[in-house]
Amino acid sequence: MNDNRYYKILVGLAVAGLIIGTWGVANVILYGKRATALGSYVPWGLWVAVYLFFLGLTAGAFLITILTYVFRVKIFAPIGPLSAFTVLVAITCEVIIISFDLGHFSRVWRFVVNPGWTSMIFWMGVFTNAMIIIYALELYFLLRRNLVEGAQREGTPARWLYRLLSFGKTEFTEADHVADHRRVRLLSIISLPVGLIFYGINGAIFAILLNRPIWNGALTPLLFIVTALLSGGALTTFLTYIFKIDDALVHYLGHVIRFLLVVFLFLEALQFFVGYKTGMVINRASLDIIAFGPYWWVFWVVHILLGSAVPLYLLSFRHESAHAVAAACFLIIITFIAVRLNFVIPDQAVYKLEGLEATFYHWRLRTDQYFPNLNEWLVSLWVFSLGLLAFMLGSRYLPIVSAGKGEAHHVEA
Amino acid sequence: MTRVLPLEDALLRMQRDLKRALAKDPRQIRWGMVIDLSRCIGCHACTLGCVAENKLPPGVVYRVVVEEEMGHYPMVRWRFVPRPCLHCQNPPCTKVCPVHATYSDEQGVVRVDYNKCIGCRYCLVACPYAARTSDFGERYTNDTPELPGKLFGRRAAFAGYEQRLSAEYGRRWPDRNGGSPFGNARKCHFCLHRLKVGMLPACVTSCIGRATIFGDRTDPESLIFEALGSPRLFRLKEELGTQPAVYYLK
Repeated sequence: MNDNRYYKILVGLAVAGLIIGTWGVANVILYGKRATALGSYVPWGLWVAVYLFFLGLTAGAFLITILTYVFRVKIFAPIGPLSAFTVLVAITCEVIIISFDLGHFSRVWRFVVNPGWTSMIFWMGVFTNAMIIIYALELYFLLRRNLVEGAQREGTPARWLYRLLSFGKTEFTEADHVADHRRVRLLSIISLPVGLIFYGINGAIFAILLNRPIWNGALTPLLFIVTALLSGGALTTFLTYIFKIDDALVHYLGHVIRFLLVVFLFLEALQFFVGYKTGMVINRASLDIIAFGPYWWVFWVVHILLGSAVPLYLLSFRHESAHAVAAACFLIIITFIAVRLNFVIPDQAVYKLEGLEATFYHWRLRTDQYFPNLNEWLVSLWVFSLGLLAFMLGSRYLPIVSAGKGEAHHVEA
Repeated sequence: MTRVLPLEDALLRMQRDLKRALAKDPRQIRWGMVIDLSRCIGCHACTLGCVAENKLPPGVVYRVVVEEEMGHYPMVRWRFVPRPCLHCQNPPCTKVCPVHATYSDEQGVVRVDYNKCIGCRYCLVACPYAARTSDFGERYTNDTPELPGKLFGRRAAFAGYEQRLSAEYGRRWPDRNGGSPFGNARKCHFCLHRLKVGMLPACVTSCIGRATIFGDRTDPESLIFEALGSPRLFRLKEELGTQPAVYYLK
């Protein structure tokens, strides 16, 4: 990533994605949800799947900061600032994409004025904000030393930004550093229950719903926590490799990812086993859509083969090579959208009342006709590009990699 | 003198029941509906009556009639199951609303406050009867020819149907230029605006088989009270514990 050529290519891709995606964004702003292919029987589509994808990516920092600052596993310390920054970018993208999905985003202030205490979406909003605050503060305290020092140093790129974020502080003593690490540890301890509830609540949004064969069940929140840790952990591992932080760390993380992947696949197999064994038509129909429906290849080829079997092989038999571990993690990340789509769509794609499909014809009253349209893909591209651009600029102009150097020493303090 | 004609239309009796209910303390009313499946002929007049009453746009429907084929040849028959919002007394949809835009009022009607709804569609996903639809902003007149000569070229049919106001919840809708109910969750509301002025819901008056009985469930003199005592009574997906206020007679 220090390579200027890759930086320029990725920034160029992000800018191109933003420009192309603007067409979809403009359509959604002008025509609202009419610009989407969503319907009343499949009211949640690609954007909710992308939201869940970003949700998963945020868990990498959760995993790393908890291990480093709560359980004092020193080896992860160098990637603390990087992972905290990643969570902030991912959670921002998550909020943006779900905002596009709202029919009336301008009324989002009603969350504060008319809180629906019994709603999981309300609590999702509360815990999303809590996570943003925790990780913004954590990142700030992890970077502060470098920010203050950079603000004083001639030739620092974007020095004005360093000065701005130093809030007038010109000196940074060792005592300040120790105090900041105490704060980071405190925030990490707070983030442990907050993060578990945050990921669990996102699962509970689906788990509590009646008559939803795949979603409804106590397994769903647990599955969400594991999937989040898997995809987030894979992202963190991949970035550790890309930023050339420490190859030994990549190997270590590879073992963690392999364990999480096996647990995830086990839980997924359980979901299928229990679903089929109930013998209920609605359960079988939903699972059949995943495994044998028109998009069977998304499950078998994208998720099982490319997103699970190949990474599992690489992580098990090629784990000595950092390159192979990074490749496995990259595959897990990019195929994870398939996991999310297969979670969100098939459950809705079965009529909940037999005969409903023949009652009143309109394409927005069908379950079998949903496929994301161009606007939905373009908006998703726009949000991905925004996230990539923010990440690239942040990694270039903020000390998120350099701040990790020497962190292990402070973890012991 | 008897108060009921020997061959009185059920509508007349329901009209009298309604008048009596409206004279009560509103807090004591519990609106309900009983749909007699043996009387439903599957004409879909209730669906259309509802669409016309509430000026529903394409893709939005409050009351559908589900057709079920029953039995085996030669003993085959059709059964028609009209499905409005069931106005559950333990509604899964109201609990999931993050901003309290949907709620059960004191008379047991599950309502949507169009100006509060943020359009997250969680209630649509939560309803086990698929009784809610989202207004995606479709219009019947999209892509139809335009009338010449007006400033922005208004469409002919638009002026005829889509520009007419709907009186849902006793207010004027739309509010259509980007505001509610575009982007909102929408559903049957027992035609509260009609009840308020002493009129029965549109699906009740348009039912040619008189299969839909409506009234105050707590009034012992009412037709619905009688129907609720029938041994043929059942509710959809009763096992879910949602306790719908819409009942069916087998």
